[in-house]
Amino acid sequence: MKKTLALAGLIALTAACGGPAATTKAPDPAKLTLVDRTAKAAGPLDSAVWLLDEEPGTLDLDSDGGTNNRTVMANVCERLMQTQPDMTVKPWLAEKAEQPDPKTMVLTLRQDATFHDGSPVTADDVVWSLKRHAGEGMDESDEFEDVESVGKTGDHQVTIAFKKPNALFVQALAGGAGIVLNKEVVEKLGKDYGTPGHEDGCSGPYQVKEWASGSQITIERYDAYWNKEVKPLTKSIAFKWADDTALVNSLATGAAQGAYLSDTGPAVALQANQAVSVAYGATTKVFVLLPTDRGVLKDPKIRRALSLAVDRAGIAKSGFAGLARPWKVPVGAGAWSYEKEAFQTAYDQLQGAPESPQLEEAKKLVQEAGSPKEPIIVATNGEQARTVIANAVVDAAKKIGLSAEIKTVPASEFGSFYTDKSMRAQVDLVPDDWYITKADPIGFYDNGLTGSSNNWVGYSSPAYDELVAKALETTDDAARAKHVIELQRMFTADMVWISLVEVPNAVVLGSKVTGPPASQVHMGYPWAVDLGAKG
Amino acid sequence: MVRKLAGLLATLLATSFVIFGASYAAPGDPVTFLAGGKENLTPEYLAAIRAQYHLDDPFLVQYGRWLGDAVTGDLGRSLQYNDQVADLLAARLPSTLGLVAYASVLFVVFGVALGVMAAVRGGRTDAAVVAGTTFATSVPPFVVATVLISLFGVQLGWFPVMGGGSLWHLTLPAVTLALGALAIISRVTRQAMVEQRELDHVTVARASGLSERLIVVRHVFRGALGPIVTMCGLVTAGMLAGTVTVETAFGLNGIGSLLVNAINTHDFPVTQAVLLLMVAAYIAVTTLVDLLQPLIDPRVRRT
Repeated sequence: MKKTLALAGLIALTAACGGPAATTKAPDPAKLTLVDRTAKAAGPLDSAVWLLDEEPGTLDLDSDGGTNNRTVMANVCERLMQTQPDMTVKPWLAEKAEQPDPKTMVLTLRQDATFHDGSPVTADDVVWSLKRHAGEGMDESDEFEDVESVGKTGDHQVTIAFKKPNALFVQALAGGAGIVLNKEVVEKLGKDYGTPGHEDGCSGPYQVKEWASGSQITIERYDAYWNKEVKPLTKSIAFKWADDTALVNSLATGAAQGAYLSDTGPAVALQANQAVSVAYGATTKVFVLLPTDRGVLKDPKIRRALSLAVDRAGIAKSGFAGLARPWKVPVGAGAWSYEKEAFQTAYDQLQGAPESPQLEEAKKLVQEAGSPKEPIIVATNGEQARTVIANAVVDAAKKIGLSAEIKTVPASEFGSFYTDKSMRAQVDLVPDDWYITKADPIGFYDNGLTGSSNNWVGYSSPAYDELVAKALETTDDAARAKHVIELQRMFTADMVWISLVEVPNAVVLGSKVTGPPASQVHMGYPWAVDLGAKG
Repeated sequence: MVRKLAGLLATLLATSFVIFGASYAAPGDPVTFLAGGKENLTPEYLAAIRAQYHLDDPFLVQYGRWLGDAVTGDLGRSLQYNDQVADLLAARLPSTLGLVAYASVLFVVFGVALGVMAAVRGGRTDAAVVAGTTFATSVPPFVVATVLISLFGVQLGWFPVMGGGSLWHLTLPAVTLALGALAIISRVTRQAMVEQRELDHVTVARASGLSERLIVVRHVFRGALGPIVTMCGLVTAGMLAGTVTVETAFGLNGIGSLLVNAINTHDFPVTQAVLLLMVAAYIAVTTLVDLLQPLIDPRVRRT
């Protein structure tokens, strides 16, 4: 009997391992094609189940604009500007954003837009919303640092005055900082706004139908939507949340129709499954190493040497199953929403972050730095990608005459590197993924400013600081791109952060649906509008 | 009864203080989870968040504030979910209670049946039950969950692979949860029955010529019921705190996954409420078993 039972167990286990995860092989990073959108949908869809990593904490993006929260609310709440699947920005609730002078922005509002309660979107709502976003402790308050005042200057006109010019503000208005809320609804609900069981205060093509706390959030097509040119094919979308395994199983069995992936693991498991398709799109997300000023990495020469010695192609392959590509700069190509060619050319010419190690050059740098003996401590939280990166660092260090050790930190504590100096004092390198929500690389480079909260290594260059300020004030795209390219050169020359791999945005779709964008716009663009049945 | 209630309150108070102390002392900072994206982690922003959630107040002040509110029935708002803690619990309790109830029915019915079978039949049946239950206890729940999902969810498509809402959804999770408990109960039942069979009154009954079936039902099983009920109660109470693995594996949004998430994100009000609820439920179940004992076994009443 014992034998029979053991055998039965073994068979069951073998069956389990024969599931979707085991039969796949890693795709070739070089063959990964990025698209803006998936194939256009042909027909209507009554309902779809869409998966998130976890339940949103709130639907009020001012109190928390997490990825999951934004993915849902991008379909419900509209902004003054809107980012498109090709990452460009176009006017939306504001039909025009003019800058009569660099320190003034005049927004002309559409006159036909209405909220979900039927009331019109007024200039008062816009002024009130912008002031709410700017409030202390609000998620987007940092976007308003340069804003002097916001005021209504006409029935359909709002004027924003700046303390100094801000070239990024138009982009910010396409993000959470540009959401227009129904003042009356939000004020009435007070603290309950954005929690389960309450209506939304927005104007988008979908409205929040139900949030059954703990089980699902349903959004439904708003049939009285003001913009008649927008025709959502899917009537209702139920958002559920699942960990990687449940996500893979749900998509494989058809229990769910789609998901934007935050991790490459499920993509690998789903790649070979005929029932689902995975599409990859532009992103700003890059895996980087953030150095601290604790030990030998204080020396730019050592940082450069390490960047030359680390095996980026190997990391892309083992850490991300080929679903990432070696990358030289700290921002993904999805940020190149203007002057794309100039950015690409500059990128191609950059040295210092090769796909495969350049050991000789690296060794020379280490010798110039006096061949320090103190070991480099690299952190991980035990996740596969971070652990692979940490091991690649140890390997690279060894090959160029340095030594390195790995320190594992609990996942719940990993985020504290950003807030706790004493945590940073224990390590030299923190591997992490970074993305910016605005499709403009200048949104990133302020991290290299003297004294910036993410500049742990203490990089300080007056020329760099001056150029960041100048770029932020340059509203002309071509001129700004030139500044950004120079900033990129300075940042990578000294390896303020060490860039490793770019991780594309990924959307997985069940066999019966198609349409939504694949690029990283699902946190601001109403992607559900494009979702529908396959032809 | 009054003394029991006072004891319960004192236990809850002490527990709440310990939980508070533990979450206060735990490494990591809630502010990193409250801040949203990494773009936001500037010192000014973090200071604003700290002030908003009173994170810089001294230990006792924070505890006092929580206790004061809790006494008036206000369990506070979750840090992670802006929602009221009471609403969060109310939304997730049915899942967990349903799961535990379903699993309890399964392990009680099958566990007791297997135990009785082993004790009465003996020999090969006994050996098979012992071997089977040994195997069942040695497989960790997450492995059972994976096997069940792959086999009955993905390959055969008989059961949904995630989520709750119906008995159908809860079947695989309940089986997973019941499996380990089933082994324990069948063992306890078997042991208690075997011990009862050796007792004098059973020998007397047998000598008086009663049928074996009657003896087993009326004397042996009835005598063994005490320890069986106690064990069933303890196991059920333990389950209330042990649904985490199963809930996570099956994507069920119950109290267990809420607790783990709350601990990981330093969501103190939720951690506190869930743990206190679990402690209270444990005390309630064990008290209920205590009250049931005299009804089952008259001898307990006399002592």
